[in-house]
Amino acid sequence: MKVNREFKEALLFVAPLVIFISFFILLPICGTFWTSLWQDVAFISKKFIGLENYVRLLSDRHFWQSTYFTLLFPLISVSLEMFFGMIFALVLNETFRFRGILRGISLIPWAIPSIVGARIWQLIYRYDYGLANLFLKMFGIQSINWLGSPVGAFSALVLADVWRTTPFVAIILLAGLQTVPNDIYDQAQVDGSNFVQRFFKITLPLIKPIVIIALLFRTIDAIRVFDLIYVITEGGPGGVTTSLSLYGYKFFLLGDFGYGSTVSVILFLISFIIALTYIKVGRIRTSIL
Amino acid sequence: MKYYKLSIILYILCILFSNCSQEPPTLTFAIGGAPSEVEYWEILIKKFKEKSNISVKILRQPTDTDQRRQGLVIPLKAKKKDPDVFLMDVIWVGQFAASDWLQPLAHYINKDTLNVDVFFQSIIEQVDMYNKKLVALPVYIDCGLLYYRKDLLEKYGCVIPETWDDLIHCAQIIQKHEKKENPQFRGFVWQGAQYEGLICTFLEFAVSHRGGIVDKNGNIVINCKENIEALELMKNMIHSYKISPPNTFTEMKEEEVRLFFDAGNALFERNWPYAWSLHEREDSPVQGKIAITLLPKTADGKNAAALGGWHIGISKYSDNKDNAWELVKFIIAYETQKELTLNLGWNPGRSDIYDDSEIKENVPHIAVLKKAFEYTAARPNLPYYTQLSEILQRHINACLSGKLSAHKALFQSQKEIERIVDIYHVSNQ
Repeated sequence: MKVNREFKEALLFVAPLVIFISFFILLPICGTFWTSLWQDVAFISKKFIGLENYVRLLSDRHFWQSTYFTLLFPLISVSLEMFFGMIFALVLNETFRFRGILRGISLIPWAIPSIVGARIWQLIYRYDYGLANLFLKMFGIQSINWLGSPVGAFSALVLADVWRTTPFVAIILLAGLQTVPNDIYDQAQVDGSNFVQRFFKITLPLIKPIVIIALLFRTIDAIRVFDLIYVITEGGPGGVTTSLSLYGYKFFLLGDFGYGSTVSVILFLISFIIALTYIKVGRIRTSIL
Repeated sequence: MKYYKLSIILYILCILFSNCSQEPPTLTFAIGGAPSEVEYWEILIKKFKEKSNISVKILRQPTDTDQRRQGLVIPLKAKKKDPDVFLMDVIWVGQFAASDWLQPLAHYINKDTLNVDVFFQSIIEQVDMYNKKLVALPVYIDCGLLYYRKDLLEKYGCVIPETWDDLIHCAQIIQKHEKKENPQFRGFVWQGAQYEGLICTFLEFAVSHRGGIVDKNGNIVINCKENIEALELMKNMIHSYKISPPNTFTEMKEEEVRLFFDAGNALFERNWPYAWSLHEREDSPVQGKIAITLLPKTADGKNAAALGGWHIGISKYSDNKDNAWELVKFIIAYETQKELTLNLGWNPGRSDIYDDSEIKENVPHIAVLKKAFEYTAARPNLPYYTQLSEILQRHINACLSGKLSAHKALFQSQKEIERIVDIYHVSNQ
């Protein structure tokens, strides 16, 4: 009897969250899926076509190219962010003068709205009056069209993303590092372990759940990347830096809502699968949740 | 009590009735563009109200063209009564007409015995006729022009180029000398970034090679020998002749091109008529040193100027079509068009304005424009044009970046566009 009452109370507390999620997340997802089953083009009459939009995706070369970019971009940018983020976190975890100020300063790139950050980088990369070429000119080197080659445009985007989100990763990891008790390190030092051994045997296993959380946030964010690309390369040159979200958006703009929704559904599935994998691999459920 | 209720009902009826009889019918007119343009439209609308006693509500739209299109497509698709009258970019007319959103105008024109011959006939045929029905009228027309530096051509003894070969030859010589003093200097700047403007540039190169996007029967003919030659020429201007800057395919849109030329860094520029007054402003480094002419052609080709501009139409779902027509008639009238030319620098769709003595005096370069308007090449008037354009932009831009050969880019475009036609046509039946 008592259990039942507790259950009812719990339900009451969970209800707002459930309602919120179903209205603002579940409903739009289902709506998008429903639209993806229609041929919904601005200038012809709407028609139910089942999975035909998905069949169209299979033979769409640009869809595959965008998918490839959407997977490669997080792989490289998130790896770099984790690497630098970890170094930053380890440094900021040490005790030294001005640590508080440094922690604050390191967050600035993350605090700048991403569209503004993207515009800053675009002004750096620009061929005609970009900052990067201005530097080259000072040393008498010919200007380079940074965004003109596929590799150049890709690296430019990765650099801008790493610059912006490394502080975010660093702060999350720093929170993790602070939960590790110092006496474990003292014990290890007594046992004669060096810095590298301590990092891999103690620090990393202990903050693993936090690392997974940071990875999860960053990967999902990087998979959905839109603003950075929209401002810096607009998907160019020749479409090589088009992400799935930009690709889907283009179809909405062109008036093909059905196909645009189909691309969005695929993007959702990709991030959903990756999130599930992280949770499974990280065993977040047992360790912190 | 009974009387009390009755009196309320009477009172309500009174209000309703008086509303019907006294308030003049209101039209909705969707208009966007630069803030100065929208402000000027408001003045015009006030004049219209004084003249006809028809009040018009202005529906302000954004400056961005794509957003303007979306702002019209959504109410029209939902068969809303508003907006009654709107301006369309030249490339939307086909799409809107194919969706059956535009009121055919023949009936009104016959009723008022309006003379349609005063408009540029080639433009009416290329844009405003859909399935042999007149569905729109040109308000403002635009076309691609070649701007050149008179002073530099004179200094190096070059003549105004008539063919692409002349242009390349001339640009290479002058660039070689000018680069010594100004390392930024380039022979020819044009719009090559991945956006709608790239299609205009490509169309001009293609038509000047006797190519094009669709043939007379409406078939897609992108993958043809002439177009491949044209695209190769565009690519070579950047990568082989090096007369166009390396950022042509990443950054060059109208304003980037204009500013490059404006700073005195280029000999030739492909741009729209709007650049003229900006180049000729008092503090411009190229002021007084420039002139305009037709874009070059190949030795056996023909001149081509991509057609742009805005056309006016009436919504099929309008509940006020007769008044809507009055507004359209007012906007395309001689006096209004003349005012738009003098105040906003718009090039009117009526050819008779170009011979007006006051216009000739105030807008001296309009004579060249009139000549260029005889060579306009319109982008195809197709319902799926925006999709076609997106595919072409992507492939042409990939070719200009050096990622694809001209042949492969056009071959793939053709294949993808045919597929789009296939997908959309199947559903039409």
